[in-house]
Amino acid sequence: MAKLWVVIKREYLERVRSKWFIISTVFGPLFFVAITIVPGYLTMQGMKDSQVSDLRILDATGADLGSRVADRLKKMRDDRLSKMLGDDAAIVPPTVVQRVAPTQLADAESTATRLVMQKVTQGYLVLDSLTLTKQKARYAGRNASSLAEMEMVQGAVREALLANKLQAEGVPPSRIDSITRVRVDLATEKIDERGRGGSGLVSAIFGFIIAFLLYMMIMLYGQNVLRGVLEEKMTRVAEVVMSSVKPDILLAGKVIGVGAVGLTQQLVWFASAALMAAYGTQMMNAMGKPGMPPISLPPISPLLMVCLVLFFLFGYVFYSSLFAAVGAMVGSQEEAQQAAQPVIMLLVSSIILVQPIMLNPNGKLAVVMSILPFTSPVIMPLRMSAVQVPTAELAASLILVALACWAAIWVSARIYRVGLLMTGKRPSLKELVKWIRYA
Amino acid sequence: MTELALDIRGVTKRYDQHTAVNALSLAVPKGAVYGLLGPNGAGKTTTIRMILNIIAPDEGTISIFGQPSNSNGIMDRVGYLPEERGLYKKMQVRRVLRFLAELKGVSAKVADQRIDQWMERLSLKTPEKDWGLAKLEELSRGMQQKVQFIGTLLHDPELVILDEPFSGLDPINAQALKDTVVDLKKSGHTVIFSTHLMDNAERLCDSVCIIARGEKVLDGTVAAVKAEHGGNNVALSVAGGSELISKIFADHQLVERVDDSNRFFEIALQKDADPQSLLRRLVEAGAVVQRFELVQPSLHQIFLEKVGATGVEVGMSGHG
Repeated sequence: MAKLWVVIKREYLERVRSKWFIISTVFGPLFFVAITIVPGYLTMQGMKDSQVSDLRILDATGADLGSRVADRLKKMRDDRLSKMLGDDAAIVPPTVVQRVAPTQLADAESTATRLVMQKVTQGYLVLDSLTLTKQKARYAGRNASSLAEMEMVQGAVREALLANKLQAEGVPPSRIDSITRVRVDLATEKIDERGRGGSGLVSAIFGFIIAFLLYMMIMLYGQNVLRGVLEEKMTRVAEVVMSSVKPDILLAGKVIGVGAVGLTQQLVWFASAALMAAYGTQMMNAMGKPGMPPISLPPISPLLMVCLVLFFLFGYVFYSSLFAAVGAMVGSQEEAQQAAQPVIMLLVSSIILVQPIMLNPNGKLAVVMSILPFTSPVIMPLRMSAVQVPTAELAASLILVALACWAAIWVSARIYRVGLLMTGKRPSLKELVKWIRYA
Repeated sequence: MTELALDIRGVTKRYDQHTAVNALSLAVPKGAVYGLLGPNGAGKTTTIRMILNIIAPDEGTISIFGQPSNSNGIMDRVGYLPEERGLYKKMQVRRVLRFLAELKGVSAKVADQRIDQWMERLSLKTPEKDWGLAKLEELSRGMQQKVQFIGTLLHDPELVILDEPFSGLDPINAQALKDTVVDLKKSGHTVIFSTHLMDNAERLCDSVCIIARGEKVLDGTVAAVKAEHGGNNVALSVAGGSELISKIFADHQLVERVDDSNRFFEIALQKDADPQSLLRRLVEAGAVVQRFELVQPSLHQIFLEKVGATGVEVGMSGHG
């Protein structure tokens, strides 16, 4: 046991002291923030010079419906932008409205089509007598497949028509605006067997972040174990160490030591996230920037917390022992990359199916993937944050992953014992089986 | 009988098709310098790994200081220098050494003192430069080997096992290694080393064991081995008459084997042959005898006689 501790100490300290650790600990969160915030920011920037504003309205109604639609569009856009950006929403140019006689509509449309093809405008909206009588309008443009933008255009036409009707009914123009602009804000909330629990959207995002973090940590630190084993094998230090400790202890020490590094990193990240949550608003205010509204994380139940830790540990131990076996099998970095493919594929299979599983967290795919031991460490926490997982499924998942861990350790320790002293060519599958049987 | 540092009995290790070590038995008394000799591929490293409990024998028992080699804590009394050397390259020298010492149960504090002593002794730590603070990869090959050697001895092991310790050493480091082995013996340690360099073995060893093809060919004290296998050897140095001399050497009634060492011949005579008749015939053949000496055979000769006969591939019994 004392020797296990010596091995753990070395594995841990050498990694924590390395530049790699310090850099990834400091820049990891920055990177994570970047990949979550930058796309959002870019979307907002995109909306600012929104394609919707860049459309042309061909108004053949003769009732000046076109300028009403343009007006609505502008207001909708301003609303959305001011919600996101707070100010300077008024810089968007107004939409061009072109009045055309019904007979010239065909000519006007072909001109507008050409303009879209030449990328002068994004698209055009056609309003004619059918719009007034049968509420039919047409849109053609590059962004015709953008659901959000088409919904906005549709909404604007609907509001303009409504305003027209109200006017015809004799409602005073000053009131028309406030009547047509009634907005509904739909707040979503999740309900499960224990009652109501936080916003549906936030918990989905939270679940995704957790799944992604688990995946990343298992991948990063599992491969770290592989590199460590390979280093010991290639530099031949393994033989010296094995004359002092049993290979099983060396393997255990490495897996535990590297795992502890991963936990340390997570601890640093969570602590700084907590600090940001507690003091972030004050800091932003002190710097003269308007504080962001505090983000309230969904309450994590103790059960989820315990399961998170368990699944991380099981997942990490399972994959890092497999990675260790790969490291012991091969003789060079290049070989390692090739031989690690199957293990990596196993792990990747869990993350590429995150989206379909989030869409249907109680579907067959989700249930199976959350029970299979090589995907459950990532998928089960994801499911748990989205839906109430039946206790039986959770128990089955935990038992299976624990068994898989035991099997992975058993097999890997044997491959490790034999492989560390082997040199020369990579063993074939048949030879591997032999190693496992005779070790 | 003196107490044994190492007692191997009937040890066999098989891999797939071939047997690496076959029913090997040997005993190393405490305080001896013991040479494990054999050509490449004879099973020396496999034997050593089994002694160190790195691999398990299929049959037989190994005891160290009277205890089974897999008993708890026994390896803390053994120091090992593997043939293929290497340490954690990215680690600071001092931390590597402390790690190796701690693995053998030495406290960090004691280890630090010993590291200082050894580093100064092997001039890795001078008033100008302390290499202990450098990373291992910054050291020259020679210095790295010194570090590895220190790592082998930091826990003051009673039994020191060195696998091909002289391979790849420059003359200065080789001398330092010899000195250390002698010092270790003087202070009562037991040293076992494997080598295929007979000169080193002859100079350093009290006892030897020659193995080939995984089997013991002979063992015993160097003196006994020589007495048993020699007596009828002649060191000869001549000038002139080369053709006639070759004819005499080819006479298998008289001469068993000749080893031309350039400056002199080492000649093994047939068991009942008379050295005097060789001298007489040489003189008759007109050779100018510059040296004619009855010698004990070198370990090298015995090695060739014993192992060469049982079929080592040509060029594998190499003399240095």
